[in-house]
Amino acid sequence: MSRLIDMDLEQLTEMLVRMGEMAHKTVSLSLMSYIQGRGSLGEVQELSDTLILMADEVESKAFEIIARFQPVASDLRILKSYMKISYDFTRYGRYALDISQIHSMLGGARECENWIIRVIKEMSERTLSMVNASVKSLKSHDAEMAKTLSETENQVDALYSKYLDRLVEKAPATNKCTISSVLATRYLERIADHATYIGESVVYLSTGERVTLR
Amino acid sequence: MIGNTKIDIKNLNVWFEDNHVLKDMTLAIKANAVTAVMGPSGCGKTTLIRALNRMNEVIKDSRTSGEIYIGEQNIYDRDTNVYELRRKVGMVFQKPNPLPKSIFENIAFGPKVHNVARGKRLDEIVKRSLKEAALWDEVKDRLQDSAFDLSGGQQQRLCIARALAVEPEIILMDEPCSALDPAATAKIEQLIRTLAQNYTVIIVTHNMQQASRVSDFTVFLYLGRVIEYDITKDMFEHPKNELTEKYITGEFG
Repeated sequence: MSRLIDMDLEQLTEMLVRMGEMAHKTVSLSLMSYIQGRGSLGEVQELSDTLILMADEVESKAFEIIARFQPVASDLRILKSYMKISYDFTRYGRYALDISQIHSMLGGARECENWIIRVIKEMSERTLSMVNASVKSLKSHDAEMAKTLSETENQVDALYSKYLDRLVEKAPATNKCTISSVLATRYLERIADHATYIGESVVYLSTGERVTLR
Repeated sequence: MIGNTKIDIKNLNVWFEDNHVLKDMTLAIKANAVTAVMGPSGCGKTTLIRALNRMNEVIKDSRTSGEIYIGEQNIYDRDTNVYELRRKVGMVFQKPNPLPKSIFENIAFGPKVHNVARGKRLDEIVKRSLKEAALWDEVKDRLQDSAFDLSGGQQQRLCIARALAVEPEIILMDEPCSALDPAATAKIEQLIRTLAQNYTVIIVTHNMQQASRVSDFTVFLYLGRVIEYDITKDMFEHPKNELTEKYITGEFG
């Protein structure tokens, strides 16, 4: 027999997964636009704003469940984690918006030499795969999948750090590219960090174990 | 777990006729803390706390094996003075059970029986006990009124004051709020937290939110065995045993 709380928890999970999918879409749109050189600031702004509203809804629903059911154990861990994760999803949206704004102000990857474009593409692919994995692991409460985020995050970190070193050595063609790409890669690195925070929350909600994936 | 042990239960078994109610229970209850005992009906909660002041012995055909140490003394040793034990280990029951006497006499009854005080000293004990039970301000001007004139919550605090009057070290509470409304329950819960500063409190409760609010440690019993015993915060956030998880999240019980 299912419990009264189960229906509300399922509803909350659905809300959060929808939010995750929208966050993935936001990051993906912003990155593709940055790499391909087409403007999408208005659309990304709208998506980012929607994510903030959705986070408020998730928080309200979580508070309602706490007030009505006084959850404990795995139920309580789920609520705590969901509130944290909804914040991480808004950060995905915020960094996606930052990338779109840089694009709008300074131009995107097209301003840069080919080797820089390759670095940005590689970082983008890995970061996007992390965003995707974070949403998937949330959907299935899969702690093992969440733990794999750590490895990809190390790769993104290494790419970022190596890129900064090479940039100092080689000096790119234009200042616009330097500023734009450094900011964009920095935001990618931060998105990857938030993916690992989500991974940590997924491990916690499903096992109670507190891990650090960064 | 942190803290000094007040009650050391070793391999405790209790039978009522052929019914083996507590099974090989080993547990170290911490001093100056509140320990909640929870579990589904019939799991042995009340039998466990009644074992701590040998109250099970008043039930016909009960049998107990194992050891319970309070300090250096195994309370099941033959030379244990049971009356002294029950003074040291006070008990508060589910339903308030004041004596058909005045408020004053309810509190004075224990010290008189144990012959520890009279006159001014007795007045002081009554005042101290009522103050400790957070009832003094409400009854100080009507100590000669019948205890039955008090509300349910006040009667329960009177029973707690009565237990305190004989200077116990341990207070056992068996569902002390089950007959009370939310406001009276809140007062008793606050009182339990205050009492833990000077006494070792063990509370049996069906109400898991109450266990999580008032206790420092929680014991989960199932079919007469200790399934889990942990710091309350840890048990309610991350129970280590699947049975505990299922019980506290309402999957059974």
